Amino acid sequence: MKSFLKSAICMFALAAVACGGRKSEGPAFQDPHPLPEEPMVMRAASIGRYGGRFVLAETSGPKTFNAMMANETSSTDLTDQMFIGLANFDNGTQEETPFLAKTWEVAPDGLTWTFHLRKGAAFSDGHPITAEDVLFSFTVAYDEVVHPSVQDLLIMNGKKWEVTAPDPYTVVIKTPGPNAMVVSSASSVRIMPKHVLEAPFKSGNFVSAYNVSSPPDTIVTSGAWRVKQYVPGEKTVLTRNPYFFGIDTEKHRLPYLDELVYLVVPDQDAADLKFRSGEVDGIDNVKPENYRWYEDHQKEGNYTLHNLGPSLNTNFFWFNQNRVQKASPGKKVGDPQVDPVKYAWFNNPVFRRAVSLAVDREAMIPSIFFGDAVKNWSQSTPANKVWYSADVVKFDFNLAEAKKLIASLHWVDKDGDGFVEDTSGHTVGFNLKTNSDNKMRVSMANFIRDDLAKIGVKVNLVPVDFNTLIVNLREDFQYEAILLGLQSGVPPDPAMGQNVWRSSGKTHYWNMAQLSPETPQEARIDALMDTLVSTPDLEKRKAAWKEVQNIVNDQGWIVWLPTLNTKLPLRNRFGNTEPSVIPHRLIWNIERVYVKPSGAQP
Amino acid sequence: MRTYIAKRFLQVIPLLFGISFLTFLLLQLAPGDFLNQMAENPAISPATIDAMRRRFGLDQPWYFQYWLYLQNVILHFDFGESFSRHQPVFTVMREGLSNTLILAGAAAVVTWGLAIPLGVWAAVRQYSWIDKGLSLVAFVWLSIPEILSGLLLLMLAARTGWFPVGGMRSIDYDDLNGFGKFADVSWHLALPALVVGLVPLASRMRQMRGNLLDVLRLDFVTTARAKGLDEGIVIYKHAVRNALNPMITLFGYTLGALVSGSFIAEIIFSWPGLGRLTLDAILTQDQYLVMGSVLMASVVLILGNLIADLLLAIADPRISYD
Repeated sequence: MKSFLKSAICMFALAAVACGGRKSEGPAFQDPHPLPEEPMVMRAASIGRYGGRFVLAETSGPKTFNAMMANETSSTDLTDQMFIGLANFDNGTQEETPFLAKTWEVAPDGLTWTFHLRKGAAFSDGHPITAEDVLFSFTVAYDEVVHPSVQDLLIMNGKKWEVTAPDPYTVVIKTPGPNAMVVSSASSVRIMPKHVLEAPFKSGNFVSAYNVSSPPDTIVTSGAWRVKQYVPGEKTVLTRNPYFFGIDTEKHRLPYLDELVYLVVPDQDAADLKFRSGEVDGIDNVKPENYRWYEDHQKEGNYTLHNLGPSLNTNFFWFNQNRVQKASPGKKVGDPQVDPVKYAWFNNPVFRRAVSLAVDREAMIPSIFFGDAVKNWSQSTPANKVWYSADVVKFDFNLAEAKKLIASLHWVDKDGDGFVEDTSGHTVGFNLKTNSDNKMRVSMANFIRDDLAKIGVKVNLVPVDFNTLIVNLREDFQYEAILLGLQSGVPPDPAMGQNVWRSSGKTHYWNMAQLSPETPQEARIDALMDTLVSTPDLEKRKAAWKEVQNIVNDQGWIVWLPTLNTKLPLRNRFGNTEPSVIPHRLIWNIERVYVKPSGAQP
Repeated sequence: MRTYIAKRFLQVIPLLFGISFLTFLLLQLAPGDFLNQMAENPAISPATIDAMRRRFGLDQPWYFQYWLYLQNVILHFDFGESFSRHQPVFTVMREGLSNTLILAGAAAVVTWGLAIPLGVWAAVRQYSWIDKGLSLVAFVWLSIPEILSGLLLLMLAARTGWFPVGGMRSIDYDDLNGFGKFADVSWHLALPALVVGLVPLASRMRQMRGNLLDVLRLDFVTTARAKGLDEGIVIYKHAVRNALNPMITLFGYTLGALVSGSFIAEIIFSWPGLGRLTLDAILTQDQYLVMGSVLMASVVLILGNLIADLLLAIADPRISYD
C-alpha cells in the first residue's frame, strides 16, 4: 500500500509539472476600437498596463447572469461588474459618481431629475447605449410579472416614478414626492440591452433570459466586463467589454486585466488553502481566527492582509414585543405573542436598559473576536464615513448601574436561587435564540447568559437552524429574544434600512408591521424617517438619523453587540487595488487594477 | 430473464412514487421556504416576496403543488425549474451528475483495486504480520471520518504542492491538449478519490479475505491439493474465482451508494458534483431541485441493485431468474 501511494504520487507529480505552470503572457491587448465621444476618466493611483488576470474565491457560483433577476451575492458579485447604472457608488469616497450619466441635476421643485447620458457609450456588442435602453430597463423593473426586487426602491407610497426620454441622451425622472435617494435608487436599475432583451420580455421569457447556460456570446453587457466562460460549479471567467467607456488619465481604455475569474470554493478552509498555495489572489471572507496566520505569512506569500477597520455589519439582540395580528385559538388580536408576564418585562424600557448595561462587550472582544472588533451602537458603524456619529446615546457595561435599575423595579431574589423574581413572584429570565451555524453569535449568546446571571436574570440559550429562526421571527413569533445581525446595503444610507426602523416596517424586529405606532417614540421615529427619506439636504438628514439612533438606544429596543474588524488578504503583484469595507470589497474598482511588472514589487 | 427485468422495472414505479411523495412531504415539514432568506433583506418588501411566492406557486397548498408536480412529470416529463437559477432542474443536474460519477468511478477503482488483491494476500498469509498490519491500517482509515481525512490530505496538498488544493480542473485547463486535460483532471481526482475510496476498503478487504478462507476450507480445494496441483493454481485459478462470487453482488449494491457516498468529499475538495448541488438546494429550499436530485440518486440506487442481481446470474450459472 505504501509503495502504491508513493508511485501514485510520483505519477501525478509528473502530470503536475506538465500542467501546473502559469499561463504564458501573450501579446498585450491592443484596443481595436476608437474611444467613445465622451469617455469617462476613472480615478486611479497609477497608470496600469494590459494583461493578466485576477482570481477571486467565491463560496458558490452565479445562479443567473440576468442583473434584474439576481438576488444573492453569488450572482450580483458578477452582474454588478457586467451591468452598470446611471451613477456609480464610489467605495473610496462613499459618494455617487457619474457613470452612464455624465451629469444630473434636480429642478427647483425637488421632484424632476434630469440625467444626461454619455455620448458614444456602447454595449459589449458595439450597439450604442441610449435613453431607449434606460427606459426599457425601467419598464422591466416596474413589470408586475417579472417583479424584480429593485422595484421596491422605485415605488413611493404605492406610486411609480415617471421616467421619460426627451432625446436619446437625456432621461427625466419625475418622482411623486421629494426623495433623497433618487440617484442611488435609479442607479440600482441595471441597464440591459433593449435590442437583445425586448423580444424575450414581450414573450414573457425575460426571467429565464441570460441564465447561466446561455452561450457567453449572447450575453450582451453594459459594464466593463462580459462573460467569457462559465463552468458549472467550478468557475466563471469574465473578460473585458471592448466597448467600455471608462479610460485612465492617459486615454487607455479600461479594464487593464484580460480576465476576472470567480473560482467556486464552497468550503472556507479550502479557500484559505487555495490562497496559501497561490491559486487565488484574494479572499472576500476570512475567519477572524485565521487573521493571525495571514498576518504572520505576508512576506513569504507576497500578499498583504489589509486591515479595513470595523465592518458595516452589526450584531445585536432584541426582545419579542410583537402582538397577535391574526386571531387564532387561544389568542386574540392585540394579545402579546409572548407570555403576558414576560411581555410586561420586555415592554419595560428600564428592564431593557438594565440588560444592555449588564453586557460586558469589552470581555467579548478578546475571546470571541480575537481582539479584532469594536463596540458598536448603531446600524451606521464606524466604517460608515457619512452616517456614523460617535456620540449617540448608549448603555455600555456598568454592573452597578444595571443592578440599581433592577432594584428600582423591586425585583429581588427571594428564594435564594441566584435569580430575581418580579413583584408577582415569577423568576425573571428569557430564552435567547440564535442560528446555530454561526459560531460567533452562539459565543456572544453564551457571554450574555453569564453576564445577565450577574444581575439575577436567567438566560437559556437556544441555538436553532437558520430557517427555523427566520420562521420564528417572521411567521409564528415563537421566541422571547433573538440574537442576529444586519448587513448594510450599498450605499450604506440609513434610508435603505427604512423597513427596520419604521413602526410599520416588516423588519421592525421587536414589534413588526404595526398598523399605527404603538409608542410615542416610534411615532417620532416614523416622522424622522420621513424626513430622512424625502429631504435632499444632507445635514437635515444626518440630524434626523442621529435622533433615530438616540431614541432606539435610549429605549433599549436593540441591545447592540460588538462589530468585527474586517481584514482581507490580497496579493502584492496587483497595482491600484483599494480594498474597502463596502461590497464588493476587493473588486469594486477591478477595472482599474493591473498586474505590476515583475521585479517592481515592494 | 427478460420478464424478470420487466417485472423489476414495473416495481420501480410505485417505489419512485413513494420516494417523491415522502421527499415532498419532508420539504413541506421543514420550516420556511425558498424566500425566507430574501425576506431578511430590509431592502426587499413583503409585496415583492409575495409576488415571487406566487410566481413559484409556493402560495398554493402543498398537496396541490405536489399534484401539479406529478402531472408535469407524468404528462410532460417535466421535472420543474430551479427557483434560484430559473432553469429546468435537469439542465442544472446534468453536469453535476457526470462529475459525481467520475469521482465515484475513480473511488470504486481505488476500493476494489486495492480490496481484492489485499484481501487475497491477507487470506493466503492468514494471521501473519502482513494480515494483521493490513487490517490495522484499513481499520484505522475506516475510523477516521471523511471530513478529517479530507482536510488532512488537503493540507498535505497545500504544504507540499504535490496535488492541487481542491477543484476539478486547473485554471489553464482550456489551454491544454487532450492528454494534458486528462492528466489535469486525474491529478485533481487523486485525493478526493482516495478519501472516498479508502472508507469502504476495510470492510471489502475483510470480506474478500473471509470469502477466500471459507473457500479454501472446502473439499474441492483439498481435492485439488491432493491431486498435487501447484498451490498458485489452486488459489488463483480455483479458490479466488469461487470466492469472488459474493463480491460481485456486493459490487452491484455499492454502485448505488456511490452517488451518495461522495457528498462530503465533494464539498471539502470543491468538486463540482451533485452532492454540493443537492446540499445547496436543501439549504436554500430550492424544492424542485431537491426533488430532482433525490429521484436521480434513487434511480441510480435501484439500477445498481438490478445490475447486482443480473451480474450474479451471469457469474453463477446456478442462479436463474426464470
